[in-house]
Amino acid sequence: MMTVKLQIIVGICLFLALTVIVYMIKKRSLDLKYALSWLLALVFVLVLDLFPVLLTKLSAALGVWAPVNMIFFLGFCFSLLIIFTLTVMLSRMAERVRKLAQAVAMNEEKLDRMGRELKKLQEEKE
Amino acid sequence: MKSLVIIPAYNEEKSILNTVADIKKNAPDFDYIIINDCSQDKTLQLCKDAGIPVINLPINLGIGGAVQTGYLYAKKNHYDYAVQFDGDGQHDAAFLQEMRDYMNAHDLDMLIGSRFIEKEGFQSSSLRRFGIRYFSGLIRLLTGKRITDPTSGMRMVNESVIKMYADCYPKDYPEPESVVAVLQAGKKVEEYPVVMRERKEGVSSISPLKSVYYMIKVTLAILVERIRRKEYKK
Repeated sequence: MMTVKLQIIVGICLFLALTVIVYMIKKRSLDLKYALSWLLALVFVLVLDLFPVLLTKLSAALGVWAPVNMIFFLGFCFSLLIIFTLTVMLSRMAERVRKLAQAVAMNEEKLDRMGRELKKLQEEKE
Repeated sequence: MKSLVIIPAYNEEKSILNTVADIKKNAPDFDYIIINDCSQDKTLQLCKDAGIPVINLPINLGIGGAVQTGYLYAKKNHYDYAVQFDGDGQHDAAFLQEMRDYMNAHDLDMLIGSRFIEKEGFQSSSLRRFGIRYFSGLIRLLTGKRITDPTSGMRMVNESVIKMYADCYPKDYPEPESVVAVLQAGKKVEEYPVVMRERKEGVSSISPLKSVYYMIKVTLAILVERIRRKEYKK
C-alpha cells in the first residue's frame, strides 16, 4: 500500500506540474495540442493517487508486487511514449525546415537573376 | 541539351574560383550553379563579385540538403542532365563532356565517375579504399550491380533521376545510399573512368573519428534502401 505521506508528496508534485502546464498554455509558450497528452497523464496519476485502491487492484491484476512500482512503471512507459513522439515530430520538423530553406534560397537566386536581367535590359534601352 | 553542373560549397574560398574557371574552360556548354551551404568564409562574396550564379542556403543543410537543392534547381529549370562536382578542386571538368557523350551513346540514367577503374590519379588512403571496397561489396550483394566507386562525388544523371533526387535525397553521407536508391528504381547505372586530384584546400567532411559512425550509418541506410524497393517501383 501507498503511505499517506507518499500520497501527499505525489499529490503536491502533480499539483505543481499542473499549475506550470496551465500557466504555460496561458502564456502560449506551450501548444495546447502537445499539452493535452501531459494533462491526460497528470489526471490519470492524480486519480490513482487520490484513490489508491484502484492502483492496488491494477497492480494485482498485472502482477506487480508493490503498487508504488506500478506508478513508476506507468510513468516510465508514458515518458518513453512522449519522447518517441517527439523524435518523430523532430524528424518531420527537420524535413520541413529543409524544404523551407531550399525554397527561400532558390527564390533568392531567382530574384538575383531577374534583377541582373532587368539591369541589362535597362542598360540596353539607354 | 541543357546540362547543369551542381557545385556544393562549404567554406571553399580558396578553390571555388578555380573550380568555376576549370568548368568554363573545359566544359563550356555546361551551365553551373554553386550551392553555398552557409559558408563562414568569403565563398559567397567571391561568387557574387565574379558574377557566378549561386544559391545561398540560409541555414546549413549539410552535403545532402545542399546537393538536393541543386537537383531541385535542375528540375525547376528543365535541365536534361545534371552533374555533381566538388568545389574543392578534386574533380576535373575535362571529363564532363566525355561523360555526357557516353551517357548519351549508351542511353544511361546515371554515370558515376570512378577512380578505381583505371586506377589513375589520387587513389585515397588505404583505409578509405578499404571502406569503399566494403560498400562496393555490400551494394553488389544487395543489388547485384558492381559499382567500384560508390562514394564518388562526381556523378551525372539524366532528367528522370534529377526528378527522383529532387523529391528525395539522403541527408548526410548520401553517395552510396543514393546510388542504391537509383539502382532499386531499376535505372541504368554505369561507371566511367576518371582521374581525381587530391584535395588542395579544405578538409574532407569525414574525419577519422566519424568514420565508424559513417560505416554504420551508411550500411543501415543501404539496407533500408533495399527494403524500400517496392515503393520506388510504384
